Amino acid sequence: MAKKILIVDDDPDLVEAVTMILESKKYDVAAAYGGIEGLQKAKTEKPDLIVLDVMMPDKDGYIVCKELKADSKLSKIPVLLLTAVVSKISTTRYTQQMGMETEADDYIDKPVEPEVLVKRIEALLSK
Amino acid sequence: MPDQANILVIDDEQIMRDGCSRILSRDGCSVLCADNGSQGLEEIKSHPEKMDVILLDLMMPGMSGMEVLDHIRTFDPNLLVIVITGYATVESAVEAMKKGAYDFIPKPFTPDQLRIVVRRALERRTLQKETEFLRREREKSLRDIATEKSKIKTIINCMGDGVLVCDRDSCIVLSNPAASRMLKTSETLLLGNYLNQCNLPSELSKIMEESLQAKDMSYASVSQELSAGESGDIFLRAHTALVRNDIGEIMGSVTVLQDISHLKELDRMKSEFIAMVTHELRAPIAAVEQQLTVILNKMAGDVTEKQEQLLSRAKQRTRGLLDLIKDLLDLSKIEAGKMVQYKEPLLLQEVIQRVVDLMRAEAENKKIDLQFSTPPKLSLINADRNSMEGIFTNLISNAIKYTPEGGKVWVALGEEGGFVKATVSDTGIGIKKGDLGRIFDKFYRVKSTETRQIVGTGLGLSIVKSIVDAHLGSISVESEEGNGTTFILLLPKELNPAPC
Repeated sequence: MAKKILIVDDDPDLVEAVTMILESKKYDVAAAYGGIEGLQKAKTEKPDLIVLDVMMPDKDGYIVCKELKADSKLSKIPVLLLTAVVSKISTTRYTQQMGMETEADDYIDKPVEPEVLVKRIEALLSK
Repeated sequence: MPDQANILVIDDEQIMRDGCSRILSRDGCSVLCADNGSQGLEEIKSHPEKMDVILLDLMMPGMSGMEVLDHIRTFDPNLLVIVITGYATVESAVEAMKKGAYDFIPKPFTPDQLRIVVRRALERRTLQKETEFLRREREKSLRDIATEKSKIKTIINCMGDGVLVCDRDSCIVLSNPAASRMLKTSETLLLGNYLNQCNLPSELSKIMEESLQAKDMSYASVSQELSAGESGDIFLRAHTALVRNDIGEIMGSVTVLQDISHLKELDRMKSEFIAMVTHELRAPIAAVEQQLTVILNKMAGDVTEKQEQLLSRAKQRTRGLLDLIKDLLDLSKIEAGKMVQYKEPLLLQEVIQRVVDLMRAEAENKKIDLQFSTPPKLSLINADRNSMEGIFTNLISNAIKYTPEGGKVWVALGEEGGFVKATVSDTGIGIKKGDLGRIFDKFYRVKSTETRQIVGTGLGLSIVKSIVDAHLGSISVESEEGNGTTFILLLPKELNPAPC
């Protein structure tokens, strides 16, 4: 059975593009266009993995991730944080620090190369 | 005598008047004559400015010499009167002197005797005039000082910057309206009060008190930022300097206050603007690039070779834009002092090894030989790890970009004095002499046919320089056109290496 991935991002164009990448790899894709919707869909869609944007107007990715990890029914779902890299030089620190704070399982910069995204998702799913 | 001396002879005897007139005129004096007391007084009253010395006969019909003398003294006590006494009556001479005559000459007298007496009186007159002149000058100077004081007071009161002047006992002796306004207090609460009674912001009274304690002659001035106002929403910059007397003793201090709240506000707006740019400008470009990536990976259907070519180039452009935004953000962070905050003792060779490993693929793509050499033992530096990674990524990637295929790029570490020295060298196209001085400037890029194809924002090296500066290090460049480039970095060694 195909694994289901939930994409949470307020930018519909980005959601569409990532959806196409994942569907080409035969994943089942569900989409949410904001943090609050993302939390709801995490419960209703029961995804195997969540790709989560950081900067969202209603509820940002760090908070969504924290709430996911605090919910015993959802805390097992791996979260791949999609970070908008704000700085070339401090990339490493940004992802590491924020990652530690948010307990996300992995971090990836957007825009992302399809093979990189797929490789990371596969790694998380096979854990 | 600088001016012609004016002499009035009052005598009832024609022969005396003529005689005196002749003798004194010959000496260059201007002589007026009067044959009785009342006429003499009239002469004096009609040209008071023309009277230097008066020769006055005591024995005259009508108004007597003594009476005339009394009138002259009431009219102008400064007029010099020489009395002419008949037949050497000492008593009348003494009486005349008591009444204020300057001198006397007994009749009969020789021309020389007259000259001596008159000359002495004229000398006295000159001194009198000089004294008068000096007195007027002094009055004028005092008036000038008063004007100057009032001018300075007006300037100080009109100034937009606040001014507080303290004497050496920390008592405020001068303040202006701007100071009261900035400190939200009234002049009466400042003037004449000691610093600790004025309810000033504590940082302000502290720097003002401390400056007065300075023992060292070299102490010149100190600047500090502080917040004021009830909610601390006013930001001031205080600049305190000492007032010393001619032998260097501290007489007090002058503090100038500037309201920098608007600068702080600008700073906040700048940060907000940057945050806005990050999201509003980056996000759509990232989305566009993500879409291009999907199409290029043929996930949205087949793509012809020509389409693929065009889309790849479009993707290169979006990548360039994202890089530019990142660079701008880095630069603004460095300028805001937020970039190099996490200094720790670190081994530069580890950082560089990591960067070299990451860059190796890029070098191999261009068939460039990338080498790294380091002595086995090297001092620690106190630096921000990410910033260090950033600057070496930048320098090595530049070296690879500007070196033709088959070239060589090598990084070497060593020590020089109190510094760890790193050099990044290449066999690339080099830099023209005229461009060398400007390559660390913001947005400066060398434009030539060779560099046209190379993508860059022109910010990389200025970021590198800002980071090196923030580490109290230095960066320099040596290059010859067509003969490669070497960047030399000196970073201060960690002073107190923690025992390992």
